[in-house]
Amino acid sequence: MAKARAKAKAKRVQDLKPPRAADAAAWFKENIALQKKRYAAIVKEQNGLERDRQKWYANFLRIIQTKGFNANGDLRVKIPANLIPKKPKGRSRVVF
Amino acid sequence: MARPHIEPFVELNEPFLKFDVGGFKGSHYKVLSLDTDTGACSLKVRFDGGYKRKPGLHYSDLEVFVLNGEIKVGDQVWREGHYAMVPAGYALGAISVPKGAEALLYFNDSEPHFEESGDSHELTLKEAFKSLNSYEDMPWGPGNLVTPSVATGCLIKVLHYDPLTEALSFLYCMTPEFAQDNISYHDSAEESYHIWGTSWMMQFGELPTGGYFWRPAYINHGAFRCKLGTIAFGRTDSKLHNYFHYNPWTNPKQNLLRAAAQVYRQRPLLYQWQASDGHNHPHGPPDFQYPGYYEKNPNIRALHGHFGGESDERDSRDAPMKLPKKKAKAKK
Amino acid sequence: MARPHIEPYVELNDPYRAFKVRGFRGCQYKTLSLDVDTGACTLKIRFPGGYRRSPGLSYSDCEIFVLNGTIEAGDALWREGHYCFVPAGVALPAIHVPQGAEALLMFNDAEPNFEESGDSHDRALREAFTSLNGYEDLPWFGLGRVQPSVATGCLSKLLRQDPLTHATTFLYCMVPQFAQDNISYHDCAEESYHIWGTSWMMQFGELPTGGYFWRPPYINHGAFRCRFGTIALGRTDSKLHNYFHYNPWSNPWENLQRAAGQGYRQRPLLYQWEMTDGHNHPHGPADFEEPGYADAASVARLHR
Repeated sequence: MAKARAKAKAKRVQDLKPPRAADAAAWFKENIALQKKRYAAIVKEQNGLERDRQKWYANFLRIIQTKGFNANGDLRVKIPANLIPKKPKGRSRVVF
Repeated sequence: MARPHIEPFVELNEPFLKFDVGGFKGSHYKVLSLDTDTGACSLKVRFDGGYKRKPGLHYSDLEVFVLNGEIKVGDQVWREGHYAMVPAGYALGAISVPKGAEALLYFNDSEPHFEESGDSHELTLKEAFKSLNSYEDMPWGPGNLVTPSVATGCLIKVLHYDPLTEALSFLYCMTPEFAQDNISYHDSAEESYHIWGTSWMMQFGELPTGGYFWRPAYINHGAFRCKLGTIAFGRTDSKLHNYFHYNPWTNPKQNLLRAAAQVYRQRPLLYQWQASDGHNHPHGPPDFQYPGYYEKNPNIRALHGHFGGESDERDSRDAPMKLPKKKAKAKK
Repeated sequence: MARPHIEPYVELNDPYRAFKVRGFRGCQYKTLSLDVDTGACTLKIRFPGGYRRSPGLSYSDCEIFVLNGTIEAGDALWREGHYCFVPAGVALPAIHVPQGAEALLMFNDAEPNFEESGDSHDRALREAFTSLNGYEDLPWFGLGRVQPSVATGCLSKLLRQDPLTHATTFLYCMVPQFAQDNISYHDCAEESYHIWGTSWMMQFGELPTGGYFWRPPYINHGAFRCRFGTIALGRTDSKLHNYFHYNPWSNPWENLQRAAGQGYRQRPLLYQWEMTDGHNHPHGPADFEEPGYADAASVARLHR
């Protein structure tokens, strides 16, 4: 009954997907766990890049004052020193 | 968040796993990213030589990009560089892979599944089916498809464009000695797989061949460099707008607020309407050109964190990103 | 013909030779192409660590493109990607290469030569001196610099153009999966060195990293393919016009006649004048904007 109602309401094929088969459900569960691990490994690896990253940021802030910042396409705008952002306290984060 | 921020992930370092799901037996897979709510996912799949499958359909939009080998699909042969957009319910012809092949598979609505069928579903959007060789059948175009624009040297071939969400699937490349000195973020999630080549971003370092990312909206990326050239397959889940800036330390919340501030300044009436009236339209403001777009399009529902259909009846869920709460008025 | 058709030549397979010419002693070189009449040449040169040279000049226009390493030229540092056009007679400052470097060195008028001098020659065209980093100081140019145009995916950076002959030195690149299905030829000689990458032409097959060609005018080349991307330094000795066609068997003489046929159809008065009157102007027709242009080195070397 509920199924018939859903079918009548449905506008797209996606809404009529049958319930997950056992193999698909097992696959889904397993891969949620694997992805969780992967995410943790990525965060760890990226935290390890912090020292290099601070050098890259410093070089970037130098380039945008000398050669310029790509404002749109190849248009470069030199950023004056008083507008250059300062590093906030604490650890910076790149993976969210 | 539906898919976590996976960046960078170099799949070449990881083993393939056996694909024990109906319709895929005889192939192996690696998950590149997975939506833990819906099962939507991006996979690299290796079809072993001799793989065969009968005609059939999926209840999810599916995109395929062939990395190598040959895949026979009905009367067609999909070779390296082949792209297909297979709308949910569209019955693909019988598949056979005589000598093995590797491909990227994108299930946009749910986990991998398959139903044998000689005919497409009656509700399928047959006209949305697309099948072409992206290497051979299209020219490169300049990257200034979107403005503000990437620097010259980042070129693009648009393979799929969703007219409602403006989600894109595209091949892109960077020239040797490509450089772009700005930090970018978007309103959309962005995804990429490096078919060949290494490029560098100031946050994440080098992304080599086999490198992948799924990057949720409003996350800083860039400046950019590419020494020897790169070719990649990219996607967004909605409209791609380049917000460029030069503060390496902003977070996604600040970036979102800055994007909203641009709407406030540049589209004042729209902003006022959204701020005052918008909350009375949980299913989106009416669009005289696309009436009923919320009900009709599962992608749009998913973008707003609403998962219809019978697999999940949740209809109100936390916004994908929690905004900072208004600070209590400072005590005098 | 002044320089023979050298295409393809992959220099990486050949050894360096000791450079026993004043100003270059201690260096090693490979000749990529050589004008057997004048000695004009394109060389790949290796400066050893510790190489030094006093200030001085050459009696030939000279171009240099740094492939790797760092060259100190007076106060300037020439790093990977650096390009210089040094007009004949312009004195370069003292040169020092602390840790070794490789470069392409092009003498446009004569064999390699050097004269110690702190000052430029009084007839040197000082204002033509060019010095920039081709990788860092210029953006890629993605649109067709020349019409009819190459396919999108072949980009360029103009390093120098001679105002009289439109001889051009440029960096160019092909993106991964670049394809262009036509056959091309030009009125000019064309030269290229593959800094990195492999590309393919239907006549010559694959040209890999270190691959080089000097191709005289009107010689068919293309169709073109590039699978993973290529970056190269290119030059022409005069104006580059793309004549595209699809006959793989035409020869340079037929190609030149076809080019003349285009002139006949598209610039009829110019063609008629050239056919009837032109032979009375051995030093070129009068140009009210550039009187005496025939004496310019870049022009003279094309018409000698």
